[in-house]
Amino acid sequence: MPNLEVSKKDLERLVGCSYSKEKLEDDLEYIKGEVDALEGDSLRIDCKETNRPDLWSVEGIAREIKARKGIEKGLVNYKVKKSNVDVFIHQNLLKVRPLIVCAIVKNVKVSEELLVQLIQLQEKVGESYGRRRKELGIGLYDLDIMKPPIYYKGFKDEEIEFIPLEWKVPLRPSEILAQHDKGKTYAHLLKGASVYPIVIDANKTVASMPPIINSQITGKVTEKTKNLFIEVTGFKWETVCTALEVMCMSLADRGGEIYSCNLHFPSDSKPYPKKLISTPMFKTEKMVFDKSLIKEMTGLVLKDKEIIDLLSRARFNSKISSNKIIVEYSSYRTDIMHPVDIIEDLLISYGFNNIQPEEIEMSVVGSELKEAKVIDFVREGCVGVGLQEVMTFNLTSREIQSTKMNLVEEELVELENPVSINYAVLRRRLTPQLLDFFSKNKDKEFPQKIFELGTCLEIKEGVENGVSQTTNLCIALTHSNVNFTEIKSVLVSLCKYLGVECVVKKKSFPFLSDNSAEIIVNGKKGFMGEVKKEVIDYFNLRKPVCVLEFEI
Amino acid sequence: MSNLGVKVKELSEIERRVLLNIDSKFVGFEDVVHSSGVEIDSVRRACAWLDQKGFAVISESEEEVFSLTSLGEIALKKGLPENVLLKTLKELGGKASFSLLENKSGLSKQEFMAALGINKRKAFVVINSGNVEDTGVSEGNLDFSLESALKNIFEGKKVEDAFSLELLKRGLVEKKKSVLRLVKISPLGSDAKKILSTQDVERVFDVEGEVPNIFLGKRAPYVQFLQQIRGKLVSLGFKEMPTSLITTEFFNFDVLYQPQNHPARTLTDTYQLKYPKSGQLPDKKIVDSIKSAHENGGVSGGRGWGYEWSKEVASKLMPSAHGTAHTAKQLVKGVDSPQKYFAIARCFRPDVLDATHLIEFNQLEGFIIGDDLNFKHLLGMLKEFATSIAGAEKVKFFPDYYPFTEPSVQLSAKHPEMGWVEFAGAGMFRPEMLRNLGIKQNVIAWGMGIDRLAMFKLGINDIRYLFSDDLKYLREAKGVLI
Repeated sequence: MPNLEVSKKDLERLVGCSYSKEKLEDDLEYIKGEVDALEGDSLRIDCKETNRPDLWSVEGIAREIKARKGIEKGLVNYKVKKSNVDVFIHQNLLKVRPLIVCAIVKNVKVSEELLVQLIQLQEKVGESYGRRRKELGIGLYDLDIMKPPIYYKGFKDEEIEFIPLEWKVPLRPSEILAQHDKGKTYAHLLKGASVYPIVIDANKTVASMPPIINSQITGKVTEKTKNLFIEVTGFKWETVCTALEVMCMSLADRGGEIYSCNLHFPSDSKPYPKKLISTPMFKTEKMVFDKSLIKEMTGLVLKDKEIIDLLSRARFNSKISSNKIIVEYSSYRTDIMHPVDIIEDLLISYGFNNIQPEEIEMSVVGSELKEAKVIDFVREGCVGVGLQEVMTFNLTSREIQSTKMNLVEEELVELENPVSINYAVLRRRLTPQLLDFFSKNKDKEFPQKIFELGTCLEIKEGVENGVSQTTNLCIALTHSNVNFTEIKSVLVSLCKYLGVECVVKKKSFPFLSDNSAEIIVNGKKGFMGEVKKEVIDYFNLRKPVCVLEFEI
Repeated sequence: MSNLGVKVKELSEIERRVLLNIDSKFVGFEDVVHSSGVEIDSVRRACAWLDQKGFAVISESEEEVFSLTSLGEIALKKGLPENVLLKTLKELGGKASFSLLENKSGLSKQEFMAALGINKRKAFVVINSGNVEDTGVSEGNLDFSLESALKNIFEGKKVEDAFSLELLKRGLVEKKKSVLRLVKISPLGSDAKKILSTQDVERVFDVEGEVPNIFLGKRAPYVQFLQQIRGKLVSLGFKEMPTSLITTEFFNFDVLYQPQNHPARTLTDTYQLKYPKSGQLPDKKIVDSIKSAHENGGVSGGRGWGYEWSKEVASKLMPSAHGTAHTAKQLVKGVDSPQKYFAIARCFRPDVLDATHLIEFNQLEGFIIGDDLNFKHLLGMLKEFATSIAGAEKVKFFPDYYPFTEPSVQLSAKHPEMGWVEFAGAGMFRPEMLRNLGIKQNVIAWGMGIDRLAMFKLGINDIRYLFSDDLKYLREAKGVLI
């Protein structure tokens, strides 16, 4: 979820109104945004729209709010003038990072505010929409230092070197990936590539190595920059075009003039769109669907005129003929995959809180799972015996589950990416968790008598996903004089209450003393007995413990 | 009846037994335990009451007692270093190099050198060209008196001064101040004792007095809360779905139309399993329709995400990250219509455990399927939840985003005491998901993190108390009623 930092005054200026906190919160609903923090002029916004990069700048937010409020309705309309800048794309990047799209924005008044927004937008779009620059990387340059035509071409390590941003001496691509901060962060994106992608101008001055880093010479945009060259690299045509248009729109909203670049691709077969194409295109797409779908989805009865107005507030142009509705939308709205996406936008224009909620009339009978019922039945029995229920985590450590229990190497369900070694496996049995519980309560009044009803996982062949999940009951008692008789009495009276048969057979377990037994309750196996002195010591306990555990 | 007679009648069984076992000479509480057979805690309490009632006199004085240091505790478990060293040497065949012996004995360098010195002094070992050799002198001459002194101190028994001083010198024990309490009978107590030993005195209770605590058998408060939530959902006509801790990415993400390159599917946002690594996918027909949902929208009329979907990624196992994984499974297994479904699901996310974050938590999750369900019904259902589950006064809806619902909505509810709270996320399942599973009806779905409500109902500020490992809290927690 993108978190955006904007100046409140800047937003007010772009929308053309002044905001109280409440009014701001109301309007941010249009971008699925929430005020994260507001201190003086500094406003942080959480934008939940993860598929709409056009909203991730103050200009984008203002653009959306203005439409929803009816200040500027319908499709965005940006003029693109022709430039004579050619960009030649080399075939040798086909397998590395084949696509590049470019644009020029002239006469930009680069203020500090704009610079901050521009870099934030570039960062958010590259990181979030571009999946950490994997799917797209954006470069911004001072056009006046570059000499067109521009080339996008792959170079071998020994063929090229340049000074990367924030560096003093020229480096080879491999050195940048090994030494420069940005290089190290994104090195994996060029791992195994036969050549390094380079943007270079007619003077053979390197502009950048996408999607890693710009050069110190042309790739530095400052408050002195007037004319900008923008490029986006990646793999998918719609993705790179969207990012390029999003960048251009923000600059144009601040008075910049957009110029196109002529892209010369090696061929017109995939992934290339055409041999020669100019970007940015600001194309539109059309979607046609039955008008009845609107009522079916929303429950609202709307006149054609209302539908068209609500859609225009979402920056769509639409027409209704007979029962069909034809919606035209900007191609940068790659989040629109189905008519329901358009209908949601219509609802947002309408305002969720202007809709009268309707009760559902459905005569169905509710029920809980049978297992949940059984578990609660057992729980009632345990409470009746005078035990305190506890609830421990499923996540625990191998040390608690196995080592301290005197159990050697055993298979446990284990996490690939634990946050802490204390929570790296999922428990196979409850007993160790209750012993661990006792170790944290040595200072509390005795006797301590507890139970847990909880899920346990065991690796098993022939079951779904190779993991069998059971619900176990574990009872643990500790006080100075606790012994086998006491725990067995608990089991016997509990089984009587539950109305199940219970067989107790002498058997030894690595964590129980000689006074231990296998128990078969209602046909399911478990164990019961006095915990071994060693195990008591491992858990750092002072008093004897008796325990039983079985699957229910 | 005389005043004394009344007082004697009011004595409890324990007080009587203690009173009968003390006389005019001061004795320790332990001595009373021995003579009366009453447990130490009860003796302590009874003496205090007898003192209060004027039947006994307690004298308090400070004394110095010995207790084990951490070194002492190790020595108690493993034996004194000199004996450990000797034992190790014998195990190594009576002869070993310095480094081998030090290594095998598990002693620190310092302990090892001290232990060696002691054994040398006793002529138990000699050092011969870098080797330590057993002289055999120790056979039958081993002295365990110091070890037993250590054990006695641990158990609180008396130990000869010579031993305790030696242990103190070696840093195995330390001196601590402790309060020594002695008890003797008072003249009034002697009279009472006389009555008790000559007559059969029936007990009269002080009905207005204090009584000891009883620990009730109780449910964990959080469990009690969850059970009541379950009851509420059943009463609203919902049918419970089964859940599992482990699932495949297929159910957690793919069925829910969440693309395989989605940031939520990375190691920083969700847990994955190291072992076992991958699980099974359902029938080929279902897998193929989910594949086409992602690649080109399938039969939904949408255009899909437009990428090549991988079966391998979908087969990866993970602990369920959200309750919707179980909804996905239910939808694949087949659903009745009209019907209402719910689940209380344990979910896992890679967070660091602190006062506001749990590493595992419960989500309440569900959906309603039926003919002619629309967005107004979704809002109606959310409003009903807010009132019947959270007791909210007002509700407000916000546009939201989930990969699997469109439209998506967030419900905020105004609780009379909690104020405005984000209460649930909801929406209508995307056609890409439903149509490709062969479901023709609209489905409205919702999910809520119920832990915040649980914290409020349980009256706690630290979320860790939901899974409390503090027995005192659990024992004293009030019952929950939502």
